[in-house]
Amino acid sequence: MIRYNCLELLAPLVTDQIVVTSLSGQKIEWAHLSKHEGNLLVGTMGTALGVGIGLAVALPHRKVIVLESDGSVLLSLFNLPTLANLNPDNLIVFVFDNASYSGTRISEPTATAGRTDLATMARGAGIEKAVTVRDLESFQKEMTAALSENGLRFVVCKIEESKDHRNILRTDMDPLENKYLFVRYLEKSEGKPIIRSRG
Amino acid sequence: MKAELANRMVVALKNSGIDFISHVPETRLSEMLPLLKADDTFMLVPVASEAEAVGIAAGAALAGKRAAVYMEGTGVFVSAYNLLTVGIRYGVPMLLLVSYIGSVEDQRNTFLYSQYGCRMIPQLEALGIEYRIIEDGGNIGAKVSNAVRAMHALKQPVALLFTGEFTEAQ
Repeated sequence: MIRYNCLELLAPLVTDQIVVTSLSGQKIEWAHLSKHEGNLLVGTMGTALGVGIGLAVALPHRKVIVLESDGSVLLSLFNLPTLANLNPDNLIVFVFDNASYSGTRISEPTATAGRTDLATMARGAGIEKAVTVRDLESFQKEMTAALSENGLRFVVCKIEESKDHRNILRTDMDPLENKYLFVRYLEKSEGKPIIRSRG
Repeated sequence: MKAELANRMVVALKNSGIDFISHVPETRLSEMLPLLKADDTFMLVPVASEAEAVGIAAGAALAGKRAAVYMEGTGVFVSAYNLLTVGIRYGVPMLLLVSYIGSVEDQRNTFLYSQYGCRMIPQLEALGIEYRIIEDGGNIGAKVSNAVRAMHALKQPVALLFTGEFTEAQ
């Protein structure tokens, strides 16, 4: 299974959901496939899931989708028990696990290339619906259920290491530009001010 | 922290519009935690690391919450990466409520804490985070509301470092 193919299935289904991405392929490929105003391209290791949790608990009526990677989740494992105990039923986490730090360009293996299983860890942390998918059909089934049903889901997507994202033109969107577009979209869709000049 | 001061602190946060607090428990300011929990104004999010406390507060702030992170001073070091990559890089206002453990005025300072305390200011300055040291509860309402106004004006984290009277045992 290739991550780009998974994201190709997800992109047309995103309407009013919020999408938070981690770095590297998740960010590059998603930004290429989706121009949704509700995309927040966090783009740093170990931070997207935390931001997604904050958005999910603050906007419990909005579906929040976090696109994570194995290396990024491994860098922020403290998120798992926090997520389990908060248990936001509007949050979907897709972890694209290629068992590699592919962003490094020398593709050193992550712990999931060895004995570590992120879905098992998530279940151990208390996340009930934590599963692993290994093919596109299973991904589509989980994705469809996650989008249509309430309940926290943590879907580990075992993917082949693909370097295709290196051939995609990276977004030029500055983090501040992304923040303002994202926040103005939320202000419009939620009908409330968020960032004001006077706080 | 004495109960009366804890109460005034919580009132100050409420009056300043703070409505979301992610936190890792610590000792010196802990008397305000039951008060925060008892007040429906605040959405409290207990977390396992100050690093995620910052990320979660950032997400909440981008969704319209007036966010604070309550942590021990050591948490500033733990969360430095998140403060930089999310709080500052994205320009997210949040109030850091920091127990200034190991500072000279920390009434419970020992060799266990002093090395953290003496490096706190250089750490915040390296991160470019505006801060104020608060040693007593006089005008606490104004001190908190000034910091909240500054975090919105700057659109980035602002820290309040509590020491002195705030570190006295109950």
